[in-house]
Amino acid sequence: MNGHPTREEDFDLFALGALDREEREAIESHVVACSACARKVAEAHGRMALLAFAAPRVEPSPERKDSLMRQVRARARDKARTQAAGEPGLFGRWWAAVLVPVGVVLTLVTIFLWTENRRLDQELASLRTDMRQRQEQVQTARAIAELMAAPDTNVVALTPMPGMPKGAARVVYNARMGMLVYDGQLESAPAQKSYQLWLVPRNGQPISAGVFTSASGETSNWMIKLPRGITPIAFAVTLEPAGGMPQPTGPKVLVGPVS
Amino acid sequence: MSETRAQLRESDAALIEKMVRRDETALEALYDRYAVMLTSVLIRILRDSQAAEEILQDIFYQLWRTASQFDASRGSLPGWLLVIARNRAISRLRHRNPAAGDELVENTLAMPFNLESVISQQQLLGRIKSVLADLPAEQRAAVELAYFEGLTHSEIAQRTGDPLGTVKTRLRSALETIKRAVHP
Repeated sequence: MNGHPTREEDFDLFALGALDREEREAIESHVVACSACARKVAEAHGRMALLAFAAPRVEPSPERKDSLMRQVRARARDKARTQAAGEPGLFGRWWAAVLVPVGVVLTLVTIFLWTENRRLDQELASLRTDMRQRQEQVQTARAIAELMAAPDTNVVALTPMPGMPKGAARVVYNARMGMLVYDGQLESAPAQKSYQLWLVPRNGQPISAGVFTSASGETSNWMIKLPRGITPIAFAVTLEPAGGMPQPTGPKVLVGPVS
Repeated sequence: MSETRAQLRESDAALIEKMVRRDETALEALYDRYAVMLTSVLIRILRDSQAAEEILQDIFYQLWRTASQFDASRGSLPGWLLVIARNRAISRLRHRNPAAGDELVENTLAMPFNLESVISQQQLLGRIKSVLADLPAEQRAAVELAYFEGLTHSEIAQRTGDPLGTVKTRLRSALETIKRAVHP
């Protein structure tokens, strides 16, 4: 509605609440900017309030006034109690003056200690992980040293097969200890392919001794534990589907017979 | 329920001032002055005296708590009390949440009569009843449905089965008559 309501009764209908939503909102938005119509709405509110007198006269029960006054007094008591609790006496204020700063300091100290404790816990966990890794490295180095020093350890050279990616590797293996170390260099495996090292035993199926992809020009090496007492006749690296296979399926890339 | 002679001389504004200073006798005086007027309309709307008296008590308790917010320049106290009472009763009737607490400051209200004395209230009661009694029955029914049940044009038409245009015409005619009759 851009202009004034077209009929005078519209103000009364508005104050009565009889207008439907659209009409009501139109008047509401109009009177915000129109003081003349706002005054008419105020008069209409007053006039419509008088319709209350069409209701038959009924007195409230006498208990209702008592209930109201009890409610008012209860509120006053609650308010007084709250104020009293919030305003301590001289003794209370003296203790508050001491206890509040002490409380603040204790809270700060607690927060500091908690933070420091958490930091130390994290540091300790990190140190434990680091120490475990170092212990593993030491054990591996010790195992390799024992492997290399053992008189019954074989060192097998693996050479490339014709037409296969270029590279070379060696396998250090001890059947008694069930330990194998691979150390080699190969061209990168083709996409969706992996290299796989096999121990070819005298009896039975080849045993997987590691899957790798290799990066061209970089050395791959690892140590692996295998079942003890298996006598190999050869070691071989085959080209397998990415992730390796339970048994060799692809072409041999490197082969090294055990002499 | 009656006001003392001293209280009768005090205006609503003076009693509100006293309430702001936490004078409980002022609240009692205002209750004595307006409780019947409000109870009557509340019971007419709700048809439940218990619910009506609960709202009555809530209204006066709110008045006590928020007396300092009441601005007499925005309207007469009894006018506002009637508006609040009707709004709350209709909200309860229609299971709506009343916007309690805001009514005292929301709008301006110009009351054409001074309702501060019980005598003037009784005079007005007779006058309004007489005006409504003289209205054609359909017009009176439309006004009562709008005021006491809070129905809009469309809702009245739906309730009575009359065409919307007819309901609008009846309400407009009735309100015009009432306006002429209560014009001071």
